[in-house]
Amino acid sequence: MFPIINIGPLAIQAAGLILLISLWIGTWLSGLLSENLGTNDDVIENSILLGLIIGLLGARVGFFIQNPSVFINNPLNLVALSPSMLDTGFGLLVGLLTIYIISQNKHLPALPTLDSISPLLVVMFAGVHLANYANGNDFGLPTDLPWGVQLWGADRHPVQLYTLLLTAGFFIAFLMRTHKLKQTGFLRSGNLFLMTIAALATITVFTRAFVAQKTLVGGLDFVQVLAFLVMTGSLCAIYFRSFQNRDQVPVLISMGSNTEPAEHLSMALDKIKSAFNVQQMSGVYQTEDVKNQTSKSQYLNRIVEINTSLAFIDLVEKLKSIEKELGRQSREKSVVPIDLDVLTYNGDVFTEKGWQIPNPDLIKYRYLAQPLAEMNPGFRHPASGVSIQNIVDRIENNANVEKIDGTDNGIKE
Amino acid sequence: MNKKRFIGVSIGLFILGLVWTILTPMLFAAAQADIGRTAPHPGFIAPDFSLQTPQGETLSLADNRGQPSLVFLWASWCTVCKAAMPGLQSTYEDFAPLGFELFAINTTFQDSLPTAMDYYQAQGYTYPMLLDRDGAVSQDYQMRAIPTSVLVGRDGEVLDVIIGAGVSEGYLRARLNDLYPEGD
Repeated sequence: MFPIINIGPLAIQAAGLILLISLWIGTWLSGLLSENLGTNDDVIENSILLGLIIGLLGARVGFFIQNPSVFINNPLNLVALSPSMLDTGFGLLVGLLTIYIISQNKHLPALPTLDSISPLLVVMFAGVHLANYANGNDFGLPTDLPWGVQLWGADRHPVQLYTLLLTAGFFIAFLMRTHKLKQTGFLRSGNLFLMTIAALATITVFTRAFVAQKTLVGGLDFVQVLAFLVMTGSLCAIYFRSFQNRDQVPVLISMGSNTEPAEHLSMALDKIKSAFNVQQMSGVYQTEDVKNQTSKSQYLNRIVEINTSLAFIDLVEKLKSIEKELGRQSREKSVVPIDLDVLTYNGDVFTEKGWQIPNPDLIKYRYLAQPLAEMNPGFRHPASGVSIQNIVDRIENNANVEKIDGTDNGIKE
Repeated sequence: MNKKRFIGVSIGLFILGLVWTILTPMLFAAAQADIGRTAPHPGFIAPDFSLQTPQGETLSLADNRGQPSLVFLWASWCTVCKAAMPGLQSTYEDFAPLGFELFAINTTFQDSLPTAMDYYQAQGYTYPMLLDRDGAVSQDYQMRAIPTSVLVGRDGEVLDVIIGAGVSEGYLRARLNDLYPEGD
């Protein structure tokens, strides 16, 4: 049991403070992850904040829809700064709807966005249980075990702390394995979120048994059954997303050359056409060396979209072998007969064997963004949902890019 | 992650979770020991008390069994309490005829009795003012801040515990409307 903090007329219970601190820490962690994933952190944070505010207002409005007489008695009740008179269910609905509408409006990609709020979910889950411990809610069954805590007239299982410890354990174990999971490309769009949900649901299934007040439906605890179904569902979803063979997936590849560029680009294109199913391609662009603008060396670049059933890492191998066939030596940085890079793979967001997808250079350099804008003006960044026009406008690197050949510009073959 | 390992772990969790969920109601049945237990928390029986009014009349929570009650712990120096009390009065006037009782327990052990009585009479409150002179009832109710309000149901069970300003007229009217579906 924790004390209450009095600030003027506001008695803030420790529980409320714990929730606020969890929200703050969780949002901060999600911001860090968001930077890593390349998701649209500002929009995500704003929509969560707006969802909270509108959800709170919705909870008050919902209460008065249910109790109109209270409102008719004293209309000022509608805006009373009182923590009661709230309809939680209605508020939750309105808040989530707000977040959904904003994310649709801003074209936030669902899966990477859910991935980036996973830390927030974990910290809030832990925070809710710590808050419950602070105000004695969701208390445990009486027990004779030595670590039982005295609460509501009995020594009880500190079940809120069991949940807290297991959540902390999951969080630490997961952080320790993150690097390995990243290397294998397992944390592909949505999987981080699904793993988080699966873990929190599993923890709930097992700790729920020690909670004293259960809601029995058909002889089983409703919350536990729900958690079990969520756990099973998310494990199945992870399986189908990660281990099922894929059909053909769309991939964007950038081609670049600074050594006999016209010839090398056309030879490389022939090889790509014979190996893959080419969907569309951009015109050819002449560009300055982005990393060394004083160098006289000029590149030719273009972008092609292919379909492939190759797994990402096999695709990278295949592209490297084409580079080698055309005389590329991996140690040579200034002479580049041909450079083939994967920009996006199936609209997924992931890191595998050190490759970050979507390629981070896509939002840094015009030689990638400009041809893509021409070939596919409707393109949106798979992680942030930002349109390709906005990406081009925001690029700060000023290496010049000029279109020199528009013959097969964007034409589907 | 290895496919075989993932499937192994998943099936393991599925079976363990299923067995655990089915066995939970048998192994961890809601304790008989908690039935009828007294505690100032929703789901328990509200702690009973017998306290005197300033005029010397003794009232008990148990006297109002069969009807809902509000136990309201307050002090005359507490602005949040005094902001809430007029709203409680008007609600009380509407619901007292139906059997509702409001026990305004003054935390006399940490208040000035004359000041509290002056305030009470000046405001003309009609719900009974009770005196917790030694703090025993405040302790039974694990009062951590003022005001603390406990809504007690017909069987003496705690329905809500509200700490601070949440005990507004709107809240109380809504709850009593639920408890007296025919009334108001």
